[in-house]
Amino acid sequence: MNFLMTTGRTIRQGSYVERKNTAPYRDEASCIRMNPVDMFDLLVEEGDAVRVTGAGGSVVMRVRPDPMLPRGLVFVCLGPYANALASPWTHGTGMPDFKTVPVSIEPTTEQPLPVSALMRECGGMPYED
Amino acid sequence: MRIEDVVCPFCGCLCDDLVVSVEGTKVLSVENGCTLATEKFTGDHRLAHPIRRTGGAWEKTTYDDAIRETAEILLDAERPLLYGWSGTFVEAQTLGVHMAELLGAVIDNTSTVCHGPSIMAIQEVGHPGCTLGQVKNRADVIVYWGANPIEAHPRHMSRYTTFTDGFFVKSAFRERKVIVVDIRETDSSEIADEFVKVTPGGDYAVLTALRMIVRGKGDLVPATVSGVTREQLFRVAEICLSARFGAIFFGLGLTMSRGKSKNIRNAIELTEELNRHTKFTISPMRGHWNVYGSNEVFTWITGYPYAVDFSRGIAFYNPGETTSVDLLRRKECDACLVVASDPGAHFPRACAEHLASIPTVQIDPHVNATTHLSRIQIPVAVTGIDAEGTAYRMDGVPIRTRKLFSTGYPDDVAVLGRVYSLVKEAKG
Repeated sequence: MNFLMTTGRTIRQGSYVERKNTAPYRDEASCIRMNPVDMFDLLVEEGDAVRVTGAGGSVVMRVRPDPMLPRGLVFVCLGPYANALASPWTHGTGMPDFKTVPVSIEPTTEQPLPVSALMRECGGMPYED
Repeated sequence: MRIEDVVCPFCGCLCDDLVVSVEGTKVLSVENGCTLATEKFTGDHRLAHPIRRTGGAWEKTTYDDAIRETAEILLDAERPLLYGWSGTFVEAQTLGVHMAELLGAVIDNTSTVCHGPSIMAIQEVGHPGCTLGQVKNRADVIVYWGANPIEAHPRHMSRYTTFTDGFFVKSAFRERKVIVVDIRETDSSEIADEFVKVTPGGDYAVLTALRMIVRGKGDLVPATVSGVTREQLFRVAEICLSARFGAIFFGLGLTMSRGKSKNIRNAIELTEELNRHTKFTISPMRGHWNVYGSNEVFTWITGYPYAVDFSRGIAFYNPGETTSVDLLRRKECDACLVVASDPGAHFPRACAEHLASIPTVQIDPHVNATTHLSRIQIPVAVTGIDAEGTAYRMDGVPIRTRKLFSTGYPDDVAVLGRVYSLVKEAKG
């Protein structure tokens, strides 16, 4: 199914922003919030994994219901999971379209990767502290 | 030991009323701070020593070797990028700009993926802003547009707007009206007197409709504009026009969505229209602690606020060309120094991939996403905790932060100063 993804800050993301190697940061940053009716249509429940694909790439996240979101709009807090989907094109402004990313979402049996593994996919070398 | 009037080193609010209890180098408690402040002060996840990557493994290294190798990487590069700067103090930012000039590098700060479009709009039409003190003491109408302060700036409402009384606003709860404009309901919209829900990408049209109403052309406004009814637009315009002093605060909901700098320009021009009837101001909700300071420092040295390219031997600025995301997308830079920020987490993946493919050095107290992409990381003291320096609040007020204790970590100026000396020596 196709959705529009928007991003923003959350208190939990901010609280763990200096501990990006930890599970609480991964859980918050890889959480995709959506309207419960959209979850019903996708046949997923809270905590289920979904593969989200955008112009910039594809990443696995976990679903959380959020009745405050309108149908068709999903929210992911800013971070490496949301940015795995964003296109690097800035239309000559310097700023990518972080707030309006068209994505497709499908249920998966895969698990969200930790941040270090995401960075390995980018060509990095995980450092475990 | 109990230390009063401590400045928070997290977001652009720079709350300066914290009371922090410390024992040796450990923070025991934080009073008056929000959750973000408490986590910042009590967090104990520093990188213990400099690290470097050799082949397929990380190894411990010394400050001397890490600093020397950093200077060598920058000197060897033809198109180095010096990125970040928002989490450190202005004295370190100053060193960064001078080093960029010596190297012929591009230097950019985090406003490039934050309020860069706001700055572009301000360069076009100016900034009718004011300090947060003015807002606290005078504003009876507050507008949060594309911003969610309860999550991003948790004390903004309690220190300056919704929940605090001011000199001319004796009872904020009764006298201040709050309007929230967003594409989704948030905790902030829940407490608004008026919540304006805009369809994604529709902010520019809604701003234009409000300008038409304020200019007396409301009869031309259609029944709905980007999901907002004509009746609500007139109601919002009336609240703004009847304000004694109004303050608009806007967030990344405007800078990152369709229209970008043009959204901000339209919001500033709405503010200008409102000023023909009453007093109105507009200000960006700056997020990353001293990002405002980085714009100030860059501007007072080079004339430009971010994305400054010294490769021509003079300062050159052209957002879309000299901005970090564009440079990395084009795979143009061949080395990167990251200071006090985390582009690995906050740039699109294609940019992270290029950072991993070139020698990237990070100067930062903590392990973050960029660590995994880097060749070297040099840990430093945290400004506002074990280092002192000057930072700018989101309204442009400079505040001197306090040092609570010494940990033995060098601060950003100590590390950058040594890299700068090596670069200067090599450049002659």
